[in-house]
Amino acid sequence: MTAAPGGATDTSAGDVAIRLEHLTKTYPGAFRPAVDGLDLAIPRGELVALVGPSGCGKTTTLKMINRLIEPTGGTVWVEGVDIRTQPTHELRRGIGYVIQQAGLFPHRTVGDNIATVPKLLGWDRARMQARVDELADLLRLDRGLLGRYPAALSGGQQQRVGVARALAADPPVLLMDEPYSAVDPIVRAQLQDELLTLRREVRKTIVFVTHDIDEAIKLADRIAILNVGGILEQVDPPAEMLRAPRTDFVADFLGDDRGIKRLSLMTVGGASLSKGPVVGQSATADDARATMAELGYDWVAVCDGDDRLLGWIGAAELDGATAVGGLTPKPFLAVVTADTTLKAALDGIVTSRTRVAMAVDGEGRYLGMLTVDDLAEGITA
Amino acid sequence: MTSLAARPPSWSGFGFDGNWDVVWYYILVHLRITALALVLGAAVAFPLGLAGYRWRHSYPAILGVTSVLYTIPSLSLIVLLGLGFGLGLLNDKPLIIALAIYTLAILVRNLVEGLRAVPDSVKDAATGVGYTPLRSLLVIELPLAVPAVIAGLRVAAVSTISLVSVGGVLGRGGLGFLFFEGYRRNRTSEIIAGIGASIVLAVVVDIALVLTRRVLTPWTPARAVR
Amino acid sequence: MDILTDTIAWLTTADNWWGPAGILQRLWEHLQYSLLAIGLAVLIAVPAGLVIGHTGRAEPGAFALSGAARAVPTLGLLVLLGRWYPVEAWPVIVVLAVLAIPPILANTTTGIGGVDPAARDAAQGMGMTPIQVLTRVEVPLAAPLILAGVRSALLQVIATATIAAFAGLGGLGRFIIDGFAVSDDARVYGGSIVVAALALVGEGLFAVAQRSVRPAGIRRRRAPLLSAAVPIPPTAGGVST
Repeated sequence: MTAAPGGATDTSAGDVAIRLEHLTKTYPGAFRPAVDGLDLAIPRGELVALVGPSGCGKTTTLKMINRLIEPTGGTVWVEGVDIRTQPTHELRRGIGYVIQQAGLFPHRTVGDNIATVPKLLGWDRARMQARVDELADLLRLDRGLLGRYPAALSGGQQQRVGVARALAADPPVLLMDEPYSAVDPIVRAQLQDELLTLRREVRKTIVFVTHDIDEAIKLADRIAILNVGGILEQVDPPAEMLRAPRTDFVADFLGDDRGIKRLSLMTVGGASLSKGPVVGQSATADDARATMAELGYDWVAVCDGDDRLLGWIGAAELDGATAVGGLTPKPFLAVVTADTTLKAALDGIVTSRTRVAMAVDGEGRYLGMLTVDDLAEGITA
Repeated sequence: MTSLAARPPSWSGFGFDGNWDVVWYYILVHLRITALALVLGAAVAFPLGLAGYRWRHSYPAILGVTSVLYTIPSLSLIVLLGLGFGLGLLNDKPLIIALAIYTLAILVRNLVEGLRAVPDSVKDAATGVGYTPLRSLLVIELPLAVPAVIAGLRVAAVSTISLVSVGGVLGRGGLGFLFFEGYRRNRTSEIIAGIGASIVLAVVVDIALVLTRRVLTPWTPARAVR
Repeated sequence: MDILTDTIAWLTTADNWWGPAGILQRLWEHLQYSLLAIGLAVLIAVPAGLVIGHTGRAEPGAFALSGAARAVPTLGLLVLLGRWYPVEAWPVIVVLAVLAIPPILANTTTGIGGVDPAARDAAQGMGMTPIQVLTRVEVPLAAPLILAGVRSALLQVIATATIAAFAGLGGLGRFIIDGFAVSDDARVYGGSIVVAALALVGEGLFAVAQRSVRPAGIRRRRAPLLSAAVPIPPTAGGVST
């Protein structure tokens, strides 16, 4: 079997949850296949994003995994089993499926919606109720919503219910088809963050279709970029793909701000900090001017006795002053912590007067300074 | 107690007094015919509707035939059924069948449209979670089509109640008999009683169906959906 | 098979067609009642529907009227008229018109009200006066639905006019009523066939008219021609199409 172009996908059978082997779909009467001989392995526990332009067959591929669309060639292995050997409805009860408009059953309560597959599998009532409650908590759904009908819920809540329903019978695999495309950007960001949090608690193999490369970069462990006709251009972890796109198509698809996108995957904690012009409150104006001259800045940062960052003072203000203590420091625009992404830091740096970001710890104590050069080093490293 | 098997009571005099049992008797006859027509019509509409939904190419044909039948005016249809199929015109059968046909025409269309109106995302989700097509139809699609079906049932019921009295032309038709006799014997009170009872019956049945829909579809808001 | 041969004999006897009580005469009477009633109804219901649909006021009233009219037992009304105005045609025609108003009104209202607001806005934006918007945009777009309402009403009127013979009027119903009175099955059956044929021909003509009136470029509905006869009950205010 040919290895997929790109990073480590030659995992042994045991670590692969889903394997697509020469998967083909040609619609009757069509000139070209919608998906042409796709080979792809989805490692267990990873979220693999299928991304590509329209017509690339990403949704078709996804739907062939749970046989909503029948392949015209090739095989799909889920957990080592050829999906054709199972009755379709059994296959689907073992795979979670989340779609764009949630597709909640309007005539059933939220709780009943979530319990759909367990009910199909014949769980007893107590077990189902416990599971529904557990999922409500996991998906941050108020338990009071369980008795209500879907129409009463907001778009974001409906999506969460959709995910809960997909997880209810604890399937090893989850298929998500552009689940966040139909909600507004604020809700979308929230749901994406919740998915990341969820994955820390519940590790499932997820195949995630999206047309939004940024969403894929944010959520995926591995991105598979498909070209029209289901041609696999590259499959790699996001950072790797951003660093080294294999083809022009991939590079174009990633966008011309690849470097900055990479910054969104890195945090301040991983970057090396520079030494900044810092003085204590008790310093004299001369001390301040000396520090500025030494490091080549026209301003100084001021810390208090506990090393907490107070702000900065420009060279002009120091004229005529004797001590730093008597002046009021202006607050820094860009103050970052270890968790802040480098992209956010860059935004602060570029828009601030001082052209730097100050890194502090949880208590506001000064740790170091981040300049544009530091960021560039981070990318090219 | 009035029983339908007993001899029908006769209208006495020219006023309303003492004739309420007559009206009640014919109301019962009227209801019987209505119920039979609706049940028969629904019973045939159900499989036809499912067929039209499942096999799309059959739907235009089904619709075409029912529409042609629906076009035939009530009296004409009753006669065609009675004389054409040897049922005779001196019993209720042609009337019941004619009204069943009208009911059928309305319900088939409503059932199919109602099923089609179920959002695709819901149908996709049903297949995706692992419902077999049959089970999906029974627990997802049909329940969600209930509002459309009941809407059709309301029209069918009210129309049927009103049309049953056409049988009065032939001396039958539940409350229609009151029109028949009232006309022949110059009794305006009898006619008015018949009209009133028929309208009240229609309103009561309509309200009953609306309430039934509310009970059957707790998930829809109780907005007045006409 | 007896009844069939008798009926065919009745239908093919020339004498039965001509003369003051012949099929053609009765057909003519029937058409008179029907067309006069429909004409009256259209005159009242279409303008009213245009206004209600355009302004959006009293819309629920229009639909409520439609529903209420369906509950009225027409034979009862006709017989009452027969008592109060024996053998006079005009009261019957008026009542037929009144009964025909609700479906036309409801359909016209929905038709006008359902016109894509974007089209209306565009028309106003181009500088059309309200009357022009009505006549050049809304009415053409609503025409198929309005016609469907008239078609449905006409069918209803033809049917009711048949029954009107019971209360002493002319028309094709006379064959059914009189034939029934003397147990002349051939006449009853023959009369029914002619009535059915009239209704079907009327429907057919209307189907053609509806198609030709539909503005070019609007996608055809899936449902076939004759299906328009069956009323789609008001769900969210929809009516017969």
